[in-house]
Amino acid sequence: MSLFNLNPLTVKKINRFKSIRRGYYSFIIFMTLVLLSCFAEVLVNSRALMVSYEGNLYFPTYGAVIPGKILGLDYEYETNYRDLQKVLKKEGTGFVILPPIPFNPYENDLRDTEFPPFPPSLKDSHYLGTDTIGRDVASRLVYGFRTAIFFSLILLIVSYLIGVSIGAAMGYFGGLFDLLFQRIIEIWSNIPFLYVIMIISSIMIPNFYTLIAIVLLFGWIQMTWYMRTVTYKEKAREYVMAAKALGASNSRVIFNHILPNTVSIIITFIPFSVASGIIALTSLDYLGFGLPAPTPSWGELLSQGSNNLESLWIVSSVIVAMTVILVMVTFIGEAIREAFDPKKHTTYE
Amino acid sequence: MIFSTSKILLSVWWLLFLSTSLQAAPQLPDNLQWLTNNEDPVYASPDAIKGGTLNDWLASFPLTLRTVGPDSNGSFRGNLLGNQMQLVQVHPNTRKLIPGLATHWAYGDDNKTMYFKLNPKARWSDGVPVTAHDFVFTFEFMRSKEIVDPWHANFFKDELDKATVYDDLTFSVTTIKERPRDELHDHTSEDMRPIARHFYKDMKGFVKKYNWAVAPNTGAYKITKIKKGKSITFSRKKDWWAKDLKYNVNRFNVDKVKFTVIRDRNLAWEHFKKGKLDVFDTTLPLYWHEKSKGKIFDKGYVHKLWFYTESPQSSQGIWLNQDNEILKDLNVRLGIAHSFNIKKVNEQVLRSDYELKQTISSGFGPFTNKQIRARELDLAKADEYFAKAGWEKRGDDGIRVKNGQRLSFAVTYGYDHHTPRLVVLKEEFKRAGLELSLRKMDPAASFKSVLEKKHDIWWGALGGGSWPQYWGQFHSDNAHKPQTNNFTNTDDPDMDALIDAFRSSTNTAERAKLAHKLQQLIHDQSAWIAGLDVPYIRNVYWRWIKLPKVPGTRLLGRRAPYVFDYNGAFEVSDGGQLWIDKKAKKETLTAKKKGKSYPAVTRIDKTFKVEN
Repeated sequence: MSLFNLNPLTVKKINRFKSIRRGYYSFIIFMTLVLLSCFAEVLVNSRALMVSYEGNLYFPTYGAVIPGKILGLDYEYETNYRDLQKVLKKEGTGFVILPPIPFNPYENDLRDTEFPPFPPSLKDSHYLGTDTIGRDVASRLVYGFRTAIFFSLILLIVSYLIGVSIGAAMGYFGGLFDLLFQRIIEIWSNIPFLYVIMIISSIMIPNFYTLIAIVLLFGWIQMTWYMRTVTYKEKAREYVMAAKALGASNSRVIFNHILPNTVSIIITFIPFSVASGIIALTSLDYLGFGLPAPTPSWGELLSQGSNNLESLWIVSSVIVAMTVILVMVTFIGEAIREAFDPKKHTTYE
Repeated sequence: MIFSTSKILLSVWWLLFLSTSLQAAPQLPDNLQWLTNNEDPVYASPDAIKGGTLNDWLASFPLTLRTVGPDSNGSFRGNLLGNQMQLVQVHPNTRKLIPGLATHWAYGDDNKTMYFKLNPKARWSDGVPVTAHDFVFTFEFMRSKEIVDPWHANFFKDELDKATVYDDLTFSVTTIKERPRDELHDHTSEDMRPIARHFYKDMKGFVKKYNWAVAPNTGAYKITKIKKGKSITFSRKKDWWAKDLKYNVNRFNVDKVKFTVIRDRNLAWEHFKKGKLDVFDTTLPLYWHEKSKGKIFDKGYVHKLWFYTESPQSSQGIWLNQDNEILKDLNVRLGIAHSFNIKKVNEQVLRSDYELKQTISSGFGPFTNKQIRARELDLAKADEYFAKAGWEKRGDDGIRVKNGQRLSFAVTYGYDHHTPRLVVLKEEFKRAGLELSLRKMDPAASFKSVLEKKHDIWWGALGGGSWPQYWGQFHSDNAHKPQTNNFTNTDDPDMDALIDAFRSSTNTAERAKLAHKLQQLIHDQSAWIAGLDVPYIRNVYWRWIKLPKVPGTRLLGRRAPYVFDYNGAFEVSDGGQLWIDKKAKKETLTAKKKGKSYPAVTRIDKTFKVEN
């Protein structure tokens, strides 16, 4: 596979990418965040990392619920490890190690005398405060990020698979097939996307995958136009003619010859698609047509924040988080685009 | 001069009516027992002073001034109907009937007919007498295709049969089905306000022709000024025919009520704080707790009122669909009832603003079974019941399992502002080993899905109505089929028998007894689990607005939720008690300028609070 063989050209591109500092560092930070978010349960969770109780060690993070009874409390439901920590400290019969943010994104940390939202407080470990139902903002931010980024990545992969293959086929076969699909796409892209989503999600409750499917309905279009043009161009090249003359099949020509030569186009678009995926999910959630409650999501936080402007910590946390992530993705995108540009000096506007 | 012309006009009308009544002369039954009631206490304040203008607001300008037909079902209709008297009215404190347009009334033996004697003084706002023929015309009017109003057309076809004239002031109204007396009154009087026959000479093109017509009414106020898109002003009729009736004395005091269109609630709130509006509804927690703070409150320029009523409450709660394989089991339903932590929601999210509901028919006076206590949160009991149903084992995620099935239900609901409540309930149910997934749809779609019985659990409410409703919600006639209100799919012969007895009984005491039994049965079956009640109204008002010692009535909000809202000023049965003290207004405005303060006032009136 020529794609993964580090031929000199690729090495050059990678070096070029590395030399663009802000893009490269953004890439490293962003990938670290994505990677960390995969293990969010260890960092942000109401379950303890480790409990030592009467000489036994427990690791509750992953795996089954440990009822309070097993750890010496008087209830059947899941142990509240924050309380357990205090109890064990007092009794001295063991210890509890809690994650840095000891709240899961669903639980309501309510109090008897005050009403949420509660402002940020180091003492209560609500580093970014709570939302209007007493859920930890930091925790919802982290899990919301994970949802958004994986939503966006899955959307990207599937929409590119569809967009690239249809676009390449249009460009390669041309003629009636091309004409037909052009018209279909034109008509399809004129359907107001947001209305369709509103209608669909008022009839059914979307989950993570159905929401991807709905957004995908309209998300595959963009890539087809670019792929069609590029394939048109490549198809006329001599190497394609040579391959055909040697008797290569259509699929071989498309996948083995043309596609590798268009990969730079695809890669340059990726970061921007990631950003637009995040924005799509966030805005749908904001409008209330996204993932069902109580899924942690940035859009939901944003809408809570804008309805409760007097609790500034909600809206400011999510806006800062969004801005940072989107700026980083844009930096990465710029750097990739530049690295793949055969011309050494290009300015972007 | 004016007096004499109107007198001539009147006599012409009398002649006209006499001639029509000569043609058809059905006989009144001999055994009628004419009733009236002038013995109940008055509820207005003897200190009330007439005069002044009450400034209120509308969120949008009404699309029409008609009370029927397209676009008429807006909130402004309340203002128009509130100024249209009923034949007999319900005393808002004693719940007994009192005279309205009619001085006397009687019940027919057939349980379908109610007879009325009109007050000979009753006049339309243009001076024309109200006669029995106006009620006959009401049928003609409502059944007319020209009004383009299918709801009213159906009501006057399926529920009401006819009006029969005996003489110009005596007539009867007959319903299609037999009704107990309370409901008979509702149908023939409350739901049937007269239409002025002389005003609608030509019904052709009614919708357009009468869109902005100010129709004659019988109430205390009439519209005198309309600025399209901007404001509507009602003025008190100085020579209102009913002003000296016992229950109307000292009511309807302000001279003018001006509704200004302010399109945004926040903006209207700013107008109020400037004193441009006199009263503001602050029932919403945000307005009562957060926004009603600051100088004008601390310095006593604006008073706060929290008034408890005993008006019929909606049946808010969770409705378990018994067609669901798991929810079919009574033990599961009892387990759910004992793990339903609505108390925590009320106390820690809703600031204890609501009351915990105990029985499905709360706020219905003698019909409410006060012995019933809703099941309290008790995880040990819940555990017991779930175990009895075979759900004792819990899975790795803490949710109960049985034969590879999880104890998991979707709850259907329709409003975003309910999400916080359900999110907390979800976490609480988790402790009992029950998973709740939230199925939020838009209000219309969610109700449709529930009507089609596609829900496991519905979080919702049906409106209070005047009398408890059981047939629609719990009779097997309506179970297991779409488009009915039996959301629990209750299909129980005992329940059916009780409901049938309740429906056919025409004796109030007996009906109340049956209602108690029904509520007990509903409680026992636990397919409907009690949620929250809002048995109060909350308002803030400038200190020049004065109210009686008891600033409202027991049944306040039976039809309209707010003291000061349109029906507050108008509604002939319970509104119109406030008055404006002009001296106090001047005093307050000067004090405000000079920074002088009065004691801050927050009135919490529990006269009619029902202790749970």
